[in-house]
Amino acid sequence: MRLGRAQLAAFFATAFAATSAHASPEDLFGFGTRSPAMGGTGAAHAEGFEASYDNPALLSLSHERRLSLGFQGATYSLSASGAGEPGHVSYERAKGILVGAVLPMPFGGVLKDRIAFGLGAYTPTDIVVRGRILYPETPQFALLGDRSQSLGIRLGLGADVTHGLRVGVGFAALAELVGEVIVATDASGHVGSNVDAQLTATYAPIVGASYEHDLAHGLLRIGGTFRGQLDARFGVEIDGSKLSTLNIPIFNIAGLAQYDPAEIALEGAWANRDWTLALGATYKHWSSYPGPIEPTILCPPDQPDCGALQPTKIKYSDTLVPRVGVDRKIEMTKSAVAHLRVGYWFEPSPLPSQIPASQAWNSPAQTTTYVPTRFFDASRHVLTLGGGLELGNPMKHSMPPGEEAKSRPERPFNLDVYSQIHVLQPRTVTLERGPNGEGDDPGFGDAKLTGTVLVFGMIAGAAF
Amino acid sequence: MKSRAVFVSVATLAIGLFFPAVAHANPLDTFGFGSREAAMGGAVSADVSDFSANYYNPAGLARAKGLELSFGYFRADHFLKTNGRENSVDPVRGLVAGIVAPGKLFDIPFAFGLGLHLPDDRISRIRALPQTEPRWELYDNRNQRLYLAANLAVSPWPWLQVGGGLSFMAATEGTLDISGDANILSPQNSQLRHEVDADLTAIRYPQMGARIALSKKTAIAVVYRGQFQLDLDLRAKLHGDLAPFTTAFYALEAKSVDAFLPQQVVVGGSWELTDRIRANADFTWVNWSAYISPVANLAVDLNIPPPQGGWPANITPPTVPTPTKVVPIAMHDRLVPHLGVELEPLKLRKIEGFVRAGYEYQKSPISPQTGITNYIDRDRHAFSAGLGVKLLAPLRELPGDVRLDLHAQLSELSNGMTTKTDPSDLVGDYMAGGHIWNVGFTTTVGF
Repeated sequence: MRLGRAQLAAFFATAFAATSAHASPEDLFGFGTRSPAMGGTGAAHAEGFEASYDNPALLSLSHERRLSLGFQGATYSLSASGAGEPGHVSYERAKGILVGAVLPMPFGGVLKDRIAFGLGAYTPTDIVVRGRILYPETPQFALLGDRSQSLGIRLGLGADVTHGLRVGVGFAALAELVGEVIVATDASGHVGSNVDAQLTATYAPIVGASYEHDLAHGLLRIGGTFRGQLDARFGVEIDGSKLSTLNIPIFNIAGLAQYDPAEIALEGAWANRDWTLALGATYKHWSSYPGPIEPTILCPPDQPDCGALQPTKIKYSDTLVPRVGVDRKIEMTKSAVAHLRVGYWFEPSPLPSQIPASQAWNSPAQTTTYVPTRFFDASRHVLTLGGGLELGNPMKHSMPPGEEAKSRPERPFNLDVYSQIHVLQPRTVTLERGPNGEGDDPGFGDAKLTGTVLVFGMIAGAAF
Repeated sequence: MKSRAVFVSVATLAIGLFFPAVAHANPLDTFGFGSREAAMGGAVSADVSDFSANYYNPAGLARAKGLELSFGYFRADHFLKTNGRENSVDPVRGLVAGIVAPGKLFDIPFAFGLGLHLPDDRISRIRALPQTEPRWELYDNRNQRLYLAANLAVSPWPWLQVGGGLSFMAATEGTLDISGDANILSPQNSQLRHEVDADLTAIRYPQMGARIALSKKTAIAVVYRGQFQLDLDLRAKLHGDLAPFTTAFYALEAKSVDAFLPQQVVVGGSWELTDRIRANADFTWVNWSAYISPVANLAVDLNIPPPQGGWPANITPPTVPTPTKVVPIAMHDRLVPHLGVELEPLKLRKIEGFVRAGYEYQKSPISPQTGITNYIDRDRHAFSAGLGVKLLAPLRELPGDVRLDLHAQLSELSNGMTTKTDPSDLVGDYMAGGHIWNVGFTTTVGF
């Protein structure tokens, strides 16, 4: 049996590694610091590495190499009250490092100053990723709490095509795990197993375009971005059916650790020397979300309605997220420019108000029963605020004559901060009983959801 | 100017220490990173300025003349045998890519670099074998991993470059819970559910390097790569009913090291012997003695009380397993020499050509496997060769250069006999050895 235990341990290692699927905190809070301070807008005005997420076409606006480093954090205060509900639903605060780079490609000829590459990453400081798929009766804000606890990586390439038209492509990457574990007794009577599992990459495309037109009092730009569905599944089968004469079922340890729906963002932005105003909306295709968990026992193809427990199906709805953002530029001196930013967005919840019950096994009664499905979510009003500084090179004065002119760009350093408050719109969801009224859990009935999320971030950048 | 240079150097390294990179147990230690470097036996710590500096010596990034983008591919096939039988060690194959972005910060040369090896089939693989099962410990599974690194570098004086970064890995801790009713008469009717609650926690380790130009034709370098280990701390619980007989409880706690990369120190030199011949040598000290066996320490609790009236005659219930005694793997530190030479037989206004060769030798760090463990390894002689061509300003749109480099490397693992002290050892004595072919290309566009 000792061999079997070692292999079983290895299996668990792979099963947990499966949770190394990454997700996108940027879908919750935005990406970088400028866009999150402006209501998550950016499809028509993103700058620097942030454009690799907001709209890769706008990477082509960058004409200097810039490296950025910062941090971001979020704290949760979420509550579910009602009969059988816990009140406070605890989530660990999220904190992580932001890294970004934008690199214009110094082509010559017709490609000169037209193409730029950008990349950005958010990586939590304490963990790389959190994979938590809990029993459905455990109270959880599954679309909010743990989704911010994961690495997010975006890469993009933008091109200035002609006459104000820009296009861009990019991708986001996650990891998912597939594998199997076969445990069996060998000819010598020892229990052995074959563990073979691997992390594989899964990608989602990002495609963007923008068109800009000079007006008498500024520049008008329209931008659109498509972000493909990004999901990270894990699926490992444990086959112990040949382990002993006990007819052990095959375990399907599988689920969806992280999920971002396909999205389309459309936006218009007007900018002049001092102001940038942006207004847009993001469509999110939540109705394709299959839910986080898969059945532990898979029914055979010829017996699709076998008696195994099936996770309950929840009908998620597509959402439309309106956004608005403003940036006010204040030139303090020739080498110091300040920015003030505000914004707002409304994030409707894709979760229905009536949540069907989940099946479970009642051991004392030796029968299948129903438990409340405590998947919680509520629409959010998000107020955003931020500021920024662009600074000239403080060493300029010590440079020899003539060197100053060569030093470029004019203001190579930037420092940006932002903060958001997400206020959950108070909501009552009904946790339904089984289809025939089954279930004796006191939690069936109404649950009232409230809460806030505070987010902050800061980035320092340097052009080189 | 001097104080400013020192300030920028320190600041850059400080930023580097917070700059994230991801690097897993390293296929590049074995097969190199970039075709030029692989062809020169990896002896490039004092002679690297392209994307491969992210691995060989981050300080080299600050020597880049302009923005560079690189892309390539390599494939290493193992032909390793025990007792004359092919062991089917999977090939290591995948793309390599990288960016070097130099510039100036406070009027001091500064550079940022990214390097990536992305395997074709997977990001990483977990393959668990019992300690008694023969496996090529350094080739079977350790190299099946992603490598991703980011670094910063500065050149405060023309003769000095320093660079570094901080790589991170993910250790694992978590809990798996399966509960319900396992129906052993009709498994598909089992009423089971599962729950997973796990974190991949960040593990960080540094890498840094320096290069000193002693003259226009001679340079030396020193590089440090930190050690990392990935802990696996896992708990699993299976509890419920074994219908229609009894209840079952199984709890397991496993603590192990999933992957281990020993710390390394590289000292190297590069000599431009003539205008067209360059010779390099690196010596890498690898702290293999710190290696930790990838076998789990387990604590198991199993409780399946017999049903009333006892078990049916045709069923033998599982019994509580006895603890496994993990035998530590004994390994020794090694000094690995790398030698490389580069010739430039073709040097025209628009095109340059290169011929390269290299050699490295790694004496096996693993002690003879005379006991129950079977971590197979053999001394490795790696011979490499390559060609390169550089097109200067080939198009108006490409004012820099375009480079294509090819490499081939043959690693010979000398045949040797493993003899067991216990004549009744289940595996017994075996002869092991073989070779590994590694071929690839890299293209670079320099601006």
